[in-house]
Amino acid sequence: MQEQLNQIKAEFQNEISNADSSKSLEQIRIKYLSRNGIVTLLFDKLKEVPKENKRELGKSLNDLREFVTNLFESKKNEIETQSSGLTSEIDLTLPGNTIKLGSKHILNKTLEEIKDIFKSMGFSVFEGPELESDYYNFEALNFPADHPARDMQDTFFINKKFLLRTHTSPVQIRVMEKMKPPVRAIMPGRVYRNEAINARSYCTFQQVEGLYVDKDVTFAELKGTLVSFAKQYYGDNLKYRFRPSFFPFTEPSAEMDITCFLCKGSGCRVCKNSGWLEILGCGMVDPNVFNYVNYDSEEYTGYAFGMGIERIALLKYGINDIRIFFENDIRFLKQF
Amino acid sequence: MKISLNWIKDYINLDGITVDEIVDKLTMSGLEVEDVVNQNEIYKNFIVAEVKSVVKHPDADKLSVCEVFDGQKTLQVVCGASNVAANQKVVFAPVGTIIPNGNFEIKKTKIRGVESFGMICAEDELMLSDDHSGIMVLDENLMPGNLIIEALGLNDVIIEVAVTPNRPDALSHIGVARDLSAIFNRELKIPEIKLTEIEQPAKKVASVEIIDSINCPRYSARVILDVEIKESPSWLKNKIKSIGLRPINNIVDITNFILHEIGQPLHAFDLDRLADKKIIVRSLDSKIEFTTLDSKKRELPEGTLMICDAKREVAIAGIMGGENTEITESTKNILIESAYFNPSGIRKTSKLTQLQTDSSYRFERGTDPNITKYAAERAAQLIAELAGGRVLKETIDVYPEKIIRKELSLRFNRLNKILGFEIDDNKTIQILKNLGFELIEQTDVAVRVLVPTNRPDIEREIDLIEEVARINGYDNIPVVPKISVTLERKEDHQKFEDTVRNILVGLGFNEMINNPLISEKEASLSGNPIKLANPQSIEMSCLRTSLISGALNSVKRNFNFGNKDLMLFEIGNVFNAVNTTEIRDFEDFVENQNLVLVLTGKEQLKSWNAPEKNFDFYSLKSFVDAFLSKISLENFINDSYYSKENEIFIYSYQKLFENKVIGAGGKIKKQILNLFDIQADVFLFEFNLSEIKKINTPALKFVEPLRYPKIIRDFAFIFDKKISFGEVEKFIFTQSVNLLKKVDLFDVFESESIGSNNRSLAFRLEFYDEKRTLTEDEVEKEFNFLIEKITSNFNAKLRSS
Ligand SMILES: [Zn+2]
Repeated sequence: MQEQLNQIKAEFQNEISNADSSKSLEQIRIKYLSRNGIVTLLFDKLKEVPKENKRELGKSLNDLREFVTNLFESKKNEIETQSSGLTSEIDLTLPGNTIKLGSKHILNKTLEEIKDIFKSMGFSVFEGPELESDYYNFEALNFPADHPARDMQDTFFINKKFLLRTHTSPVQIRVMEKMKPPVRAIMPGRVYRNEAINARSYCTFQQVEGLYVDKDVTFAELKGTLVSFAKQYYGDNLKYRFRPSFFPFTEPSAEMDITCFLCKGSGCRVCKNSGWLEILGCGMVDPNVFNYVNYDSEEYTGYAFGMGIERIALLKYGINDIRIFFENDIRFLKQF
Repeated sequence: MKISLNWIKDYINLDGITVDEIVDKLTMSGLEVEDVVNQNEIYKNFIVAEVKSVVKHPDADKLSVCEVFDGQKTLQVVCGASNVAANQKVVFAPVGTIIPNGNFEIKKTKIRGVESFGMICAEDELMLSDDHSGIMVLDENLMPGNLIIEALGLNDVIIEVAVTPNRPDALSHIGVARDLSAIFNRELKIPEIKLTEIEQPAKKVASVEIIDSINCPRYSARVILDVEIKESPSWLKNKIKSIGLRPINNIVDITNFILHEIGQPLHAFDLDRLADKKIIVRSLDSKIEFTTLDSKKRELPEGTLMICDAKREVAIAGIMGGENTEITESTKNILIESAYFNPSGIRKTSKLTQLQTDSSYRFERGTDPNITKYAAERAAQLIAELAGGRVLKETIDVYPEKIIRKELSLRFNRLNKILGFEIDDNKTIQILKNLGFELIEQTDVAVRVLVPTNRPDIEREIDLIEEVARINGYDNIPVVPKISVTLERKEDHQKFEDTVRNILVGLGFNEMINNPLISEKEASLSGNPIKLANPQSIEMSCLRTSLISGALNSVKRNFNFGNKDLMLFEIGNVFNAVNTTEIRDFEDFVENQNLVLVLTGKEQLKSWNAPEKNFDFYSLKSFVDAFLSKISLENFINDSYYSKENEIFIYSYQKLFENKVIGAGGKIKKQILNLFDIQADVFLFEFNLSEIKKINTPALKFVEPLRYPKIIRDFAFIFDKKISFGEVEKFIFTQSVNLLKKVDLFDVFESESIGSNNRSLAFRLEFYDEKRTLTEDEVEKEFNFLIEKITSNFNAKLRSS
């Protein structure tokens, strides 16, 4: 008999835990607790039990009925609260108040992610002025006066001697003037280009410059560092290539491309059908640059790289108009 | 720069190499291919067809209905060109063809009710030229049904190469072929000169004199008599057309051809229009007006290098010829100029005159001084072949100081040290040889070479290393995923900025980035603006002196977007001239990193359990205090200085540190808001982060939480309205002994019942001692003392509770 009771209890528990509506709950009530319910009928059986066992069994039956009733009531409460949201004390469905959530600008968030990767590789973070001298922006970076290389960067001038820096590379010079090798630093910052403002270009953007100078720094390590960065930032399955290019302050110079993540390399409008996206420029520090900062170019070698934050964010988030970064529409700002 | 693969095959055998391979290798060795037009691909469906008949379209005046024979069947085609006529041979695009210009597919269609099964093409639709005046009419001998790839020889591949400014040598077909010869290790074939000259020497007829030999180190000239100016033969026209140029006449086409073949710009003068048949190269003593061959009058500054005849200027050297001596249809005798000009001189003139031509582009990057004679001879040979003419004997060649090849060494271990891997010595030598370097010495450790004069960019060992590395392929350099991390102190100069940003985001602000270039009017609102010498527009003519205008512009834009409730911040650099308007040195300006906070609209929207609340001055104070507290400066920057109206604010306050203003803000006044077309209250605070960063705060130390009970007492007084809370608060602290630790204002009450000039301020006072429990008595004594003092000092009235 006791066994039977245990079985009923287990069955009931199972059924009640699966009940998910007032309808299924009512079926359970009828099955166990109604006048013809399993539990009610058990009490009828009590009459047939020998007297000496009656007391003990009666207690078991009462315990069972109490257990079933309690569980049933609490489940009933739960299901009712769940559907209406009302409890005896409060209306749980009334809304909470809106909390103002702040947001970092997506460009600075992108920059932060990039900084984190390089900081973890042991790079320091340095800064330099945006209003720069021609010396730091061009001359010390091996851009001869009256050389067509200067046309690569449309410049805003203050006068003959001062200008708005066109890249973060002048910070390389400033850092090397202050420190002796080994130097390992990234130098993020705002740069300016005298380019027409349209969906694809803006008159200012942010760059991250990188520099590593030591006794045995090689092009192979440059590739290693940048491939490691790109895999951490863009994902492990990334395909990449290094293409020869030209920057006056590095030699050999290269540009790093990764497989276009829009078309996976088959060619599309964004990658101009090449299947590749250029993500950064890099190279070995030109000996002339070392001469400007009094480093011995026979003893030391180094690499440098630079990447544009806006471009990275445009590609990563599928944004097709660069101007939205500078509109500061909070509906845009709050997305990130 | 456009390169024709058919043309380039004149100089290198590319058999067995696919177009894809050529394109990929060029890109991967430094000549980036930006576009490829494979004519075999884009023209594969176009055929020659014959127009059998043409009748007017029944419903459209400008359209014709043609019967076109495609070699097998006759099709009906609606055509819009006015020059279409029966019996013409035309280029026909059958249904299914993709038209290159516009990339659309030809479909069977009905045009104004008449069915059309294809298109008769004009040159622009095939991207052969811009001509859309009518359909292309072909040679009548062509067979209908033939592919135009074969019939018209449109089987070229045109590649667009982006040449970096250090590679003037690659700005021609032979230049690109030389790189290919190194990449694929195949022989470069330079055309041989086969020149038939007449006995009469050129120098008897014409003469050349260089006065400014700094800017013109070499001038070579050829004289050809009795030429016939006419149309070029089709092979030449096709080459000229293939790279997107328009054929003009045989002489102009030849000079263009040589420019794109060898990279040497040439100029042809009408010899008979040169006074005394004399060429003098000199720089201008004073500015002049000069009419170039495009019939434009140009002002040329003093110092401009000119080509002159015995009487006058006849060309801007290296840039453009003059109208006075240009070749015309009646020209008989010509002088071909093939010179070398100083790159920086040409660049200066080109910048000053804002005149950039194919010639100036090459000269300012650096041409080969030792190719001029060859180029002049090559021109003479082609002119003799294509324009008749008699070539006078010898090149007039003025070359006072020969520019010789530099000698350079490359150490093999240095190559290894820079690249981080070894390239076989023989491979290194082979690459240099194929690129035109002459080997003069070789040892186990190094190689010594002569640098060809077409490579002005190669001056040092590192330049040779780059040449070897790029031809050998960067892909062959291993990826070494290691970085030696020396454990010296790492510095992070942006850490503070990052912290500030995190705090403000935590406080609920949204970060903006505004354009630092603003109008002079905006920049002058506060500070000393620095102007750009070459601004794009007056709206962007100055550097920002503060972050205020950017913030207000963003507020305005958000209002336009319908966003009325804003909490914005920006961290950015601002620029101010110091005691000067002319920036001569870094001392003449300050560049500071600032932070701006802006509040407008509702701080709290009306909700079922809270009333609506607008941002106000006190919201601004709350955020300023919270911010200072989070950067642990609340005990250092606690001096406030309140002020009435100034240039920007109706009312405002400043935060000071050691008497220095490190931040200021308040409610923006109407006149300023009107400038930005804003109709709402705006509260704004701007910090100078650069100054805050400099504050040396002691390291944070643990302060034990209070172990003894606080005793709290409240009182309220009725004050005259002219007495501020700040005054009373300050007074309370000056009067109290050390037991009073904190004063909170918990109510401000105004009512007629207490007098219209009065208000009630209610204070909550906190007394405690860090070392003991205070007794009620001593607090009571102190409390009563304060009541007495406040009452007498401010003539205030204690309110009974
Ligand atoms: Zn793509």
